[in-house]
Amino acid sequence: MPVLTLNGLGRAFGKVNAVDGVDLRIADGEFVSLLGPSGCGKTTTLRMIAGFIDPTSGTIEVDGKVLSSTKGSLPPEKRGMSMIFQSYAIWPNMTVGQNVAFGLTLRKLPADEIKRRIDNILGVVKMTHLIDRYPAELSGGQQQRVALARAIVVQPSVLLLDEPLSNLDANLREEMRFEIRRLHDEFKITTVYVTHDQAEAMATSDRIAVMNLGKIEQVDDPHTLYTRPRKRFVAGFIGRTNFVSGKRDGGTVRFDGFSVDADRLDGAARSGPELLYSVRPQNLRLSLGAPEGGVIAVAGEVAERTFLGEHWDYVFAVKEGGARLRVSAPAHDVHAAGTKAWLAIDPALMVPID
Amino acid sequence: MSLATSIGEVRTRLANRGVDWTILIWIALAAILIFIVVNPLARLVLSSFEVVDGKGYTIDNYFAAYGRWRYVQALLNTLVMGAGVAVLSALFAVPLAWACARTDMPFKNFIRISVLAAFVTPPYLGAVGWVLLAGPNSGWINRAWVALTGATEPLVNVFSLGGLILIMACNLFFFIFVFVTAALELVSTEMEDAANVLGAGAFRTAFRITLPLVYPAILGGVIVVFLQSLALFGVPALIAIPARYPVVTTQLWQFFESPVRVEVAAAYAIPLLGITISLLGLQRWLLRRKGFVVVTGKGGERRITKLGAWRLPLLGYALFVCALSVLMPMVVLVQAAFSRAWGRGFSFDNLTLSNFQFVLFEHHGARQAVFNSITYAAIAAFFAISLSLCIAYIVNRKLLRFSGVLAFLCMAPFVIPGIVLAIGFYAAYAPPPLALYGTALILILSFTTRALPISYTNSAAGIRSVHPEMEEAVRVLGGGRFTAIRRVVAPLLKRSLVGAWILVFIPTCQELSTAIFLTGPNTRVMSVLMLDFSEEGKLEQLSALGGVLLVITIAIVALGFRIVGRDFMLRRIS
Amino acid sequence: MIGRMLVAALLVATWSLPAAAQLTPDAEKALYEAAKAEGSVNWYVAHYSTEIAERYGRAFTEKYPGVKVNVVRATSGVVFQRVVQELRSGPPQADVLASADISHYLELKRRGQLETYRPANSATLIEPMRRIDPDDQYHAVSFGLVVLMRRTDKVKAEDAPKAWTDLHDPRWRNQIALSHPSFSGSVTTWTAALNKAYGWSFFEKLEKNKPQIGRSLLDTNAMLKAGERTVGMALLQAAAQDQDKGEPIAPIYPTDGGVVIAGSMAIVKGAPHPNAAKLFMEYLQGEAFDRLQSQDFFEPMHEGVPSRTGLVLKNTKLLIISPEELLKAAPEVKDKWRDTFGN
Ligand SMILES: Nc1ncnc2c1ncn2[C@@H]1O[C@H](COP(=O)(O)OP(=O)(O)O)[C@@H](O)[C@H]1O
Ligand SMILES: [Mg+2]
Repeated sequence: MPVLTLNGLGRAFGKVNAVDGVDLRIADGEFVSLLGPSGCGKTTTLRMIAGFIDPTSGTIEVDGKVLSSTKGSLPPEKRGMSMIFQSYAIWPNMTVGQNVAFGLTLRKLPADEIKRRIDNILGVVKMTHLIDRYPAELSGGQQQRVALARAIVVQPSVLLLDEPLSNLDANLREEMRFEIRRLHDEFKITTVYVTHDQAEAMATSDRIAVMNLGKIEQVDDPHTLYTRPRKRFVAGFIGRTNFVSGKRDGGTVRFDGFSVDADRLDGAARSGPELLYSVRPQNLRLSLGAPEGGVIAVAGEVAERTFLGEHWDYVFAVKEGGARLRVSAPAHDVHAAGTKAWLAIDPALMVPID
Repeated sequence: MSLATSIGEVRTRLANRGVDWTILIWIALAAILIFIVVNPLARLVLSSFEVVDGKGYTIDNYFAAYGRWRYVQALLNTLVMGAGVAVLSALFAVPLAWACARTDMPFKNFIRISVLAAFVTPPYLGAVGWVLLAGPNSGWINRAWVALTGATEPLVNVFSLGGLILIMACNLFFFIFVFVTAALELVSTEMEDAANVLGAGAFRTAFRITLPLVYPAILGGVIVVFLQSLALFGVPALIAIPARYPVVTTQLWQFFESPVRVEVAAAYAIPLLGITISLLGLQRWLLRRKGFVVVTGKGGERRITKLGAWRLPLLGYALFVCALSVLMPMVVLVQAAFSRAWGRGFSFDNLTLSNFQFVLFEHHGARQAVFNSITYAAIAAFFAISLSLCIAYIVNRKLLRFSGVLAFLCMAPFVIPGIVLAIGFYAAYAPPPLALYGTALILILSFTTRALPISYTNSAAGIRSVHPEMEEAVRVLGGGRFTAIRRVVAPLLKRSLVGAWILVFIPTCQELSTAIFLTGPNTRVMSVLMLDFSEEGKLEQLSALGGVLLVITIAIVALGFRIVGRDFMLRRIS
Repeated sequence: MIGRMLVAALLVATWSLPAAAQLTPDAEKALYEAAKAEGSVNWYVAHYSTEIAERYGRAFTEKYPGVKVNVVRATSGVVFQRVVQELRSGPPQADVLASADISHYLELKRRGQLETYRPANSATLIEPMRRIDPDDQYHAVSFGLVVLMRRTDKVKAEDAPKAWTDLHDPRWRNQIALSHPSFSGSVTTWTAALNKAYGWSFFEKLEKNKPQIGRSLLDTNAMLKAGERTVGMALLQAAAQDQDKGEPIAPIYPTDGGVVIAGSMAIVKGAPHPNAAKLFMEYLQGEAFDRLQSQDFFEPMHEGVPSRTGLVLKNTKLLIISPEELLKAAPEVKDKWRDTFGN
């Protein structure tokens, strides 16, 4: 049963549609990320779910109960959710213990129950020894853990996170990413996670909703999203890719510099003659001799190259038509710029884009 | 559950949440501001068009107020005086601010404390000090001059335009000092290094790079000083009358003498408002285009400029300014406070405690006035800060539409000279039905109005420093807005609010220009009493009372240091 | 000149002896009871210094326990302003107004804002002080005189100015202490009296000597005491008191006449403590108070009370200006003053 539903959710600020008709169903215990570039409306969506912002269109429901609509919203304090803020919002006037206890005291739990739960959660986030510290005496990662503990300890119906890792340095960010996923696996709290960092979303989420200009472009699990992006924006935003456009001409599809049988390509049977495909650089192979074995062979030359340590980034100029494709090659696969070469494309790895 | 019923439920909860109370609060705050800001001003403008002692409206008051060259002359005199004060204050303040903020000049803390002391000393008390120092025949300086050189003419005469300007600048340069210090602390040393690398020395860098960067702060300070100087009443009463240099405030006072012409006074006061508003407009215009790094805040480290051979000369100048503004007046005031007759000098048989005995035990009005000053200022500071805090909160958290209007009203009294405000309050609330004249309430309210701009800037800064997410974290965990305010916002703001309270309390405790018009027999405050003493020529008793006032103020500043740390005062004023 | 003629007229007139009638013990008791019920009296006073006013207030309370005197001391202009402000804004807070500027009473009287009351004790006063207002709206309570004074250690008695006109001597350049008629009622009276006696040129010549101008008639004493000035105008009482205290100050009675300041008081209409105000007025016009007051060098207002200054008023030249004259002259001389002295 879907626990959290956004129905045609929209929010305008003056003339700007910050969020524009978002539909999303999040199942009980599911971890969903909102991923998109800065300014695409992620925070606005999240804050509408939390109840800080009223929608200007659509509704938000939890278990079929309308929490937000254009007619008004249940205030945040009545929603039984939790949120972790970009600034952590750890109250500097309270110790770690007091911060974590706060939500529990508001729920008027008995003192020994509060103590038991705090001890438990601080153990989970490995902060037990710092219970009497003030936030000013904690590092960024420790503050983040306090924020997590404080949000989780109240056993919220939904946990909301707004770019929680963006203020941490890279190493810590990676560590906390797994920490968050681990906590989710342990407590199974329905979670909405906002980020502009695809790696973060990939590492943590059951499903990712990619947003652009206030709209959701695609919602899928991380692997599908990467391997089968359906929208140009999604393919371009998640990982790097080459877009190749072709025209169907009877049984074949003609691209710039090469052609493929229509039946070897996914989605080539679609209505219009104009077709767009995405093919990832690491799915292209560069060789000096013509490739064999059911792949499409394209002649051309190495136009530019950049060495990135883990791999080479080549730009391959197709001989006929002059299309330029980016190719990722292992570090030992060295070609000088200007080398005449071949490119092997596996048509099965060409993903059709709407 | 159907959508319709659940929306119905949302609605009922909305009623609990009380969408309406926000409106009610807005109305309540707006009503308070209308009462203490808008109405007095509106009444001032209105009464400038009323027929004296009659019904109906007329423009005659303006002819009466400006129909005579002498009155226009007083206005021009005031502008000259204000410009002089502004320039002299800048000359005092900017080098000191630079020296204290950015150089290795020795005794910086002593200089800072002296500057603070200059501000804490009410201007009229400073004026009395300077009368004792530079009275043409009797002042210590002139007596020493005549004794040393055998000259027949005095060296300096405090009863002159120069004296007027000096005395005001001695008190007011504090504002520029604070503004510029704050700004200098934001200028990155990298900017100066860039100039040094190109071959500029310390002073050239200061003049070509550092000072231009803090130009907005200097300009802001200069404007504040100019406006404040126009509105002072005590110093002109003590200095400008003997100096035969009529200014607006002494002229306004004379419109209140027999026959009383409040309406003409109102008409005469209107240009002060005009001047203030146009100056602030000018400031905006001047700052409109240039990019000033300063406003963008942090960036880069700040290092101290090595002055080398200039250390002592700069210290000398700083000490000179402090001597003029605090040390010299203080010494003679203390001497006078413990003297039978100050003119007899420092001799043992001239020593007495009777002045203190008089003001503390014999003069029945004095103790009352001390009590009044402290309680009124304390309450007014509390009102002003509570009010501006509510409004700053609403504005900063965008809780209500049009809350910008409330913020504007809080800042508006900044453009109203105290004496003009007093006339407005008088016109609005002295007559029935409220008939507040002579009550403590009218003084407290007018003090509150006077204090609003400083309170508001401080409260807004305080609120801005509390990230909204701090509160949202409370709410999302199930606490209402008031829980958030009580458990998080209030504790976090405690210190800065105490600081703001003190900052408001001190000048309010010394307020004269508003009080002089609104005080009644049982609501006299220390400043008014001191002015009365000065009229009787009781400079010794006046000095003693001034001493009492200073001791109280210093005790409170010390308490402030205790609670909120040492530099709350030098940082947080704007 | 009219002034001189008036003075002359006054000098030859024999004062009729006061009638014996005064406040009867019964009437006094009744008034006291009513005053006690009111508890206090608010006294807005300009023509005494703070100490003296406070002392008189305490003396009154000593005689009539339970009736406190709240002294609000300021200059005439200020006390008048406050009363006018109060009257404009509703019931006043002032009970008794004591301004040194007689025109203030006339102004208030014209507006019908003074209480009519004839103190029974007024009958005991010497003639120039008795019922100065035929309508009994304001009453004389002290006989003040504006005279010259000098700093004894800097100006020898023989060198000192003897008459007002001596102040025109260039010797006194930068040495004269004066006060401003817009801020002090006594000074208004003085200005009007001298203007009447000598015309405005008296002040124009005076201005050439660059007098220092204070805000009250007591300011001038302060200027002398501080050594700021060496000669000046003074309230005879204040100068004599200073002399008595051992200050280096001595009054000089000008040969062309001291200016009479009939220190007057009035009960404000609608006063919050009317009975206390009446009792206070009776007290101030009684002989007991006169004895107290004359100790402070005010000229006695009762025949039997000795003068401490040694002046025998009957034989002294006085410059007197009537209330009506003053009312007419006050705005004019204040205005001219500002033109001449520039403030
Ligand atoms: N309170 C607001 N008033 C006006 N515009 C806003 C407000 N909040 C957000 N926006 C605008 O809405 C858009 C989406 O903002 P946001 O949800 O914060 O984006 P994201 O979190 O994805 O970076 C932006 O263009 C932003 O400028
Ligand atoms: Mg965001």
